[in-house]
Amino acid sequence: MSRPSVSVASSRWRPLALFLLTSGALLLVGAVLVRSPVPIYLAIPLLLAAPAAAWAGPRGAPTGTLELRAEGSGTEVRLAGLFRATGRLEARDLTVLVERPPGLLEEGSARIEQGPSSLRFEYSWRAPEPTIAVVNPPRILWKDPLGLVERPVAVAAEPLVVARYPPELLRVGAVRLRRTSVLPGENPSSRIGATGEFHSLRTATSTDPPRVINWRASARAGRLVANEFELDRTGDVLLLLDARGTTLGPAVDERLLGIARAAALGIADSFLHEKTRVGVAVFSEFVQAVPLSTGRGHHLRLREALLSSRVGPAGVPSERGAVSVSRYYPPGVTTILFSSLTDDASAELVLGLRRRGYPVLVLSPSPLPILAEHSPLAPEDETLVARLVALTRRARIARSWKDAPTVDWDDYWSLGHFVKLLRHPTMRRVG
Amino acid sequence: MSGRRPGRPVRPPPPVSTALVLGVGGLFGYVASLPHLGGVAIALLGAGLAAGLRSTRSARVRAVAPIPLVVSVGLLAVVSPLGLVPEVLSGAAGLSILVWLADDPARAPGGVGRAGGTIVVPALALGIAGASALLLPSTSASVGVAAGLLVLALAALAFLFARPRPYDREEAATY
Repeated sequence: MSRPSVSVASSRWRPLALFLLTSGALLLVGAVLVRSPVPIYLAIPLLLAAPAAAWAGPRGAPTGTLELRAEGSGTEVRLAGLFRATGRLEARDLTVLVERPPGLLEEGSARIEQGPSSLRFEYSWRAPEPTIAVVNPPRILWKDPLGLVERPVAVAAEPLVVARYPPELLRVGAVRLRRTSVLPGENPSSRIGATGEFHSLRTATSTDPPRVINWRASARAGRLVANEFELDRTGDVLLLLDARGTTLGPAVDERLLGIARAAALGIADSFLHEKTRVGVAVFSEFVQAVPLSTGRGHHLRLREALLSSRVGPAGVPSERGAVSVSRYYPPGVTTILFSSLTDDASAELVLGLRRRGYPVLVLSPSPLPILAEHSPLAPEDETLVARLVALTRRARIARSWKDAPTVDWDDYWSLGHFVKLLRHPTMRRVG
Repeated sequence: MSGRRPGRPVRPPPPVSTALVLGVGGLFGYVASLPHLGGVAIALLGAGLAAGLRSTRSARVRAVAPIPLVVSVGLLAVVSPLGLVPEVLSGAAGLSILVWLADDPARAPGGVGRAGGTIVVPALALGIAGASALLLPSTSASVGVAAGLLVLALAALAFLFARPRPYDREEAATY
């Protein structure tokens, strides 16, 4: 991984410095007009304050070290940081500018503690819905005590990625997937998860359950030793995000895509933890695909692909997506399709995928909670409209069930039904 | 995306610097010899308005707080009569404005102490100007000396505006 870049910027005059300089110049003009030295005596401090502030400030680019971390669980996100100034930089003259990611909301005021050489800050945010947010490192500015000159502090830090998704997804990776391909001589195991054929011994960790401890080997070695198993991969999983534009409009589409992105990352994390191969494809105008693979590096690739996904134009033929998917992934891969099912194009995509041999499971983030937030109707009209829209949505979900198991995801912080559906293959049968 | 400044709770107005600008400004307004103590009223109004604006929670309002203070003192400086006392009080009012700026309740306490290096430069310049005005025989000569100092200051200022690089020179990594 490349080292984070450190940008060095020069000093800048603040508006107050310009105001004092302008006032001093006007006083000079006034002194000439009234032929009096009194305004000049007032002008001297106003004119010299800004250059003196720059002179008294740090000579070179101010530097320091920044420790930045994201904390919290569930919907809460806390950004905590500790900046330590190097050299003679006075931390009480520093100002922190934090850019709040778009998917997060303010939750309380920030806490800033300034000491002589360190600056500690904590920002509290709330994720109103599942999201993946990129938190850029804060800008730290040195300002002179009078507020006349400022200069950015050179800080080496990398952006943080904060993912918040329903907690049920942490367990979803343990489900048994449909086997994609059986290699000659491979013996499919009936067990899934962290058990399988014995592979080797390793030093036990505190999280290892007693059943994986090899007690005989531990007695011989004088320390706890655990068995390592070759995990039996039961299949592969493809996460396909339908990011085509819909009639809901770009703002709602973008929010739904953000929710789908977060769920896709949660599902990918869980399956990758079980060493299952995971692929991600985003179908906007064309298909951007990350091939099937596993491992930590692949997790980063998937995350980058999801973060870079954007809503595409409307009216893109579904067949294009189905054909493109078949070029990147072998038939039989369990496919989880994220689609709002707002129009018929998504249903056509499901059919196209099934025709090419992909078992599809549709996870449909419902647009109804988002639409209800911005409804301009009166409460009694809103109730009636909500009922009608809910009936329409139910009918659409029912039609989609004829082609593939479909989960209507209207409570964004709960995916228990989806996990249950994925865990019981018999429930996934359609038709 | 939305930028956000730290949500530091604003402290109550610092009493020492507020009393300083009120006292010096009031005295300066008194020697300005405006009828019906108009000078005192202008000075107190400007300082009071500035202190009130600075104690609000809005950062935008706080940013314009120095304007009434500088405008009121500048007005008094223009209308005040010639003399040693108005000259001294004018310079003192300028320095008290700097002290007031350093004692910002929205920033970390102790600003006046940290701004010592900044305030001492204009104070020295004022001292030079005042000493030359006292030592030289005529009032017009003091104006000339002060004007010369101002020309030098403005030239330095123009240089700084054009090229702020002198303050950006990096310290050498090796000797």
